[in-house]
Amino acid sequence: MRRVLILIALFVIPCAAPAQTIPRTADGKPDLSGIWQVMNTAAWDIQDHAAQKGVPGGPGVVEGNEIPYKPEALAQKKKNYEQRATLDPENKCYLPGVPRITYMPYPFQVIQKPNELTILYEYVHTVRYIFTNGAPHPKGPIEWWLGDSRGRWEGDTLVVDVVHFNDQTWFDRAGNFHSDALHLVERYTPIDADHITYAVTVEDPKVFTRPWNMSMILYRHKEKNFQLYEYECYGFDFEKIYPYPDLGAAR
Amino acid sequence: MNTKYCFVVFGIGVALLSMTALAAGQGRGGGANPAEPGRPWPPQKLSDGQPDVQGIWAATNAGSVSLTNPITGGEDFDRRLTNTEIKRPSRIVDPPDGQLPYQPWAAALQKQEENNYDHPTRPEHIDTQHRCLLSGIPRLYTIVPAYKIVQAPGQVIFVWDEYHAYRVIPLDGRPHVASNVKLWMGDARGHWEGNTLVVDTTNLRGARLSFIGDFNSDNAHVVERMTFSDANTMTYEATVTDPAVFTRPWTMRIVHKRRPDDEVWENACWEGNVNPDVWLDKK
Repeated sequence: MRRVLILIALFVIPCAAPAQTIPRTADGKPDLSGIWQVMNTAAWDIQDHAAQKGVPGGPGVVEGNEIPYKPEALAQKKKNYEQRATLDPENKCYLPGVPRITYMPYPFQVIQKPNELTILYEYVHTVRYIFTNGAPHPKGPIEWWLGDSRGRWEGDTLVVDVVHFNDQTWFDRAGNFHSDALHLVERYTPIDADHITYAVTVEDPKVFTRPWNMSMILYRHKEKNFQLYEYECYGFDFEKIYPYPDLGAAR
Repeated sequence: MNTKYCFVVFGIGVALLSMTALAAGQGRGGGANPAEPGRPWPPQKLSDGQPDVQGIWAATNAGSVSLTNPITGGEDFDRRLTNTEIKRPSRIVDPPDGQLPYQPWAAALQKQEENNYDHPTRPEHIDTQHRCLLSGIPRLYTIVPAYKIVQAPGQVIFVWDEYHAYRVIPLDGRPHVASNVKLWMGDARGHWEGNTLVVDTTNLRGARLSFIGDFNSDNAHVVERMTFSDANTMTYEATVTDPAVFTRPWTMRIVHKRRPDDEVWENACWEGNVNPDVWLDKK
C-alpha cells in the first residue's frame, strides 16, 4: 500500500506544478485575459528574411520556412512582393485580417468570458470576437475581413476554427496572400502565466497545394499601467481639415 | 442589433453612398433573439465588486444630426424630402435653455458648417463619421447603432460594432497619460459610485459632435456619469468643459436601453472606402 501511494505522488506532482502558474477562470479554463504582443518580425515577412532599410531581419514563423504555393499563386506572390508599396492592403487601412493582426507590431488586449473572447487590437482599433458558446459558424457564403471565429477548449489549448474570409488581406508586408477559401485553425496554448504559444494551420486549396503551419509566442505586457493607445489609420491628411481648418487660427 | 440601424443617411447623394459602404463590407446579424432572459436587479456583483451591467445597449433619443434636435439621419432625410420640420427635445440639459453655449466665433463657425453640411463642396465639409474616423467621446454615446459593455477585473470596456470603436476604462485610479498625447477616444479613468459609473476623460482631440457642425477643441475635458437605474436602463450624462470654444460647461443627457444579447458580427468601416468626391455638390 505504501508503495502505491508513493507512485501516485510521483505522477501527480510533476504534472500539477506547471499548470498552477497559468491563470485560470472560475470554470477552470486557462485565462488568456491580458495585454499581449509578439516579439518577432513576422509583420514584415513570415518567412526567414535578412534586414533591409526599415525592415528588421529575423527568423520567420512558418514551420519549415516553406509556403507550398501552387505555381500560379507563387507568381502572384512574387508580383505582390515587387509591388508591395502599392498593393499591400495595410497601406489602404483595411482591417488586416487573421492571422496578420496577431503579429503586427502593436499590442492587443484579450478579455475572456465563458461564452466568448473579445480581442481589442491597437492597430486600426480592430475588434474581434471568438465565440466559445458552442454555436456553429453561420451559414456562408460570408466575406469578412477577420472571418468568423469559433473556439473550443482541448485541455489547456483554445482551438479556434476561422472561416468566411474575403480575399483582400495578406499575411505580411512581403506579399504572402490567400483567397476567400482561407480556413484557419488557431491554437492558443499557455506556456506559463506570461507566455502563450500561438500556432496556426493555414488551409486554402485555391492558393496552396497543402495545409501549412506557423507558430510563435505571445508575450504579456507587464509594464506598470500599460494600456492600449490608438492607431487610427487614414488615407488623407485629416489633421489639416478636422475638426475645422480654421479652428487653430480662430483660437 | 440590426443592420438597418447602421445606415446614416443625410442627403440623397449620401443615401447612395451609405448603400455602397454597406455593400463594401459591413454586415451584422446573429438573428433575432427577442426572448432575453430577465436580468437581476439590483445587479449581481462581479469578483472585483463592480455591479454587473454587461450586455448590449443603445441610446434611445439617438442620432448624429444634431445635439439640440436629436433626430436620426433617416428622419433628416425624410424632413428634407417632405419639407416638414421634425422637432425633438434637446439633449442639452444644462444650460437650461437647451442650447450649446458657444462663444460668438464658435457659434459662427458652427453655423457655417451647418450650411456646408447642406451644400458640401470640399472634403472637410464631410463629417468624420462618414469617413469612418473614430467619432470619439462623448459623440459615440449619441449614435443609433448599439454597443456592448464588457467588464474585466478593474476595467469597464465599451465596444461599438459601428466603426469598430472601443474604449477601455481603468478603475484603478492610475494617472492620465501625458497631456501631449491626443487620442480620438481620449484617455478615460473611471470609478463606481454605487450603480453609477463616473468617467473622467482627458487627452481628447478636437472633434465634430454632429452633422450640423457642433464641435469641441482639443482642450475639452469630459466627465460622464452613467447611472444604471434598473436592469435595462442607463442614463448617460456628459459634462463638457472646453473654455476655448464655450462660455461655460454644458451637459447632455441621453437614456440608453438594454438590447438582446445577440452575437456581434463584423462591421468594417474604413477610411477610404468611399471616394469623398461622391458626397460633394457638383459646381
